[in-house]
Amino acid sequence: MRTKTHWAPSLLALAIASPAMASDLNINGFLSVGASMLDDNKASIAGADNQGGFKNDTVLGLQIQKQVNDSTSATGQLVSRGSDDYSTEAAWAFVTYAANDDLDLRMGRLRIPFFQYSDFLEVGYAFNWIRPPSEVYRVPFSSLDGVDLTQRFSSGSIDGSVQVYYGRFQGDFNTGTDVYASDYRNFAGLALTTNMGNFGTRLSYHQAEIIMDTTDTTTALGAAVGAAGAIGLVPDGVDVGTATGNAALAGLTGVGDTSAAEDFNFTGQTSQFVEAAFTYDDGTYSAVMEWTALEHESSLFLDDQAWLIGVAARVGDFTPHLTYTTEKDSFDSGKEGEIQKQLPLESEQSSIIVGLRYDYDSGTALKLEIQNNDEKTALGADGDSATLYSVAVDVVF
Amino acid sequence: MKILKHSCSILLIGLASSLANAEISVIVSNNNPNTAIDQATVGKIFLGKTKSFPDGSQAVPIDQDDGAAARNAFNSTILGKSSSQLKSYWSRLIFTGKGTPPKQSGNDAAVKQLVANNPNIIGYVDSSVVDDTVKVVHKF
Repeated sequence: MRTKTHWAPSLLALAIASPAMASDLNINGFLSVGASMLDDNKASIAGADNQGGFKNDTVLGLQIQKQVNDSTSATGQLVSRGSDDYSTEAAWAFVTYAANDDLDLRMGRLRIPFFQYSDFLEVGYAFNWIRPPSEVYRVPFSSLDGVDLTQRFSSGSIDGSVQVYYGRFQGDFNTGTDVYASDYRNFAGLALTTNMGNFGTRLSYHQAEIIMDTTDTTTALGAAVGAAGAIGLVPDGVDVGTATGNAALAGLTGVGDTSAAEDFNFTGQTSQFVEAAFTYDDGTYSAVMEWTALEHESSLFLDDQAWLIGVAARVGDFTPHLTYTTEKDSFDSGKEGEIQKQLPLESEQSSIIVGLRYDYDSGTALKLEIQNNDEKTALGADGDSATLYSVAVDVVF
Repeated sequence: MKILKHSCSILLIGLASSLANAEISVIVSNNNPNTAIDQATVGKIFLGKTKSFPDGSQAVPIDQDDGAAARNAFNSTILGKSSSQLKSYWSRLIFTGKGTPPKQSGNDAAVKQLVANNPNIIGYVDSSVVDDTVKVVHKF
């Protein structure tokens, strides 16, 4: 009896120690509901039109996490997006093995760490905008299946992490107007983040070999592949689009060098993505700068650069913010570039976003936003400008 | 000038008494070998940036309930963040599986009880409730 009373408290203490604190099932969720309206229908921003809508900014996410044992945990996050007709997708589904306090190995479905806000791309509560600016946040998929390794470090006032990943993305590449079956192989990259006091930096590099089905000529890319083939037949020195060039072209049948046109497809060419970001937050004022560049070995996608700069001030529960963001394509050099100029591919645009976030209660933010988008060039033609008015409520629970 | 001096001293007295009222102690179990933990380390433990005490043993931070006076003081003084900033900070980690916030574990008395019974737990309470069942490692 004595031994029993002696043992009971220490067993209890043992049970309360690490496992009990960690073995709970964590259930968290986020919900964003939004409404937006465009002042005219010429430009296109965030899927909105001039009839107003409640659907595009509406996102529901539910996450469960379970610490299976001291070193292993399982995490799943299901996301349902209004812009995707509320079909539910596993944005995350991975097992984490903590090799030690600072080194995690994860395997499964992971978010691709392209951007500063990639990890919590859909958790509206975690940032001031209603949605990250699409000029910079322009990659139409966000998760891959693979493995990653994250090493955290801390030294004096500096802390941060290095993340390396490898995997594959097989799925739809959705441009908003067309959908292409795609396969991103040998998808790999690394992201380095550091924080020092109020300052933060992030650098990342990513690459993949892309295979994409562009055989459907009713799609924009399919048509471009066909057109590139036709233009590719034109010999060097003949300027397509000019009167003399067209006259010269009319006299030719099937001559010329087609090798340039062969670069207009995705049969395993490598694409690369680089990103650099800088953040500042002193509790009252905050700023974010993010610069990105895409470089495609294939000529079917134009290389581009995009960046944003945003500032915000916290005034009690109110956070007014202002952002400028821009994206600009560039042509390849040589014959490929000449062909690209003939195709409806080029885009150049910028936006100014003015918004107000109001944290009216714990875990709840109300946001108002006005975005003026100026399309200088859209798919090779002169663009339009339009203004988007949005309101959203973001909740985390 | 006199009036200015006078109002200044009232302000100082007011400030001093409000600080004295709100003195908070960061506490661990008597069985925890750590004796003093600096503010930066306490902050790192509560923000999930480190998972161990200075001696290497596992550290499990616990919070008081939302809205508790000690929690507001702890957030602003030790972590230097408002509650909505912290909510935003944790929402960036929770939904990436990179971390979970300290568990909400009740008031001063409940936190003291949990800390006393487990050498891995670290919490904070109003200094007025501290007794010999726990050990103070930091005060502010």
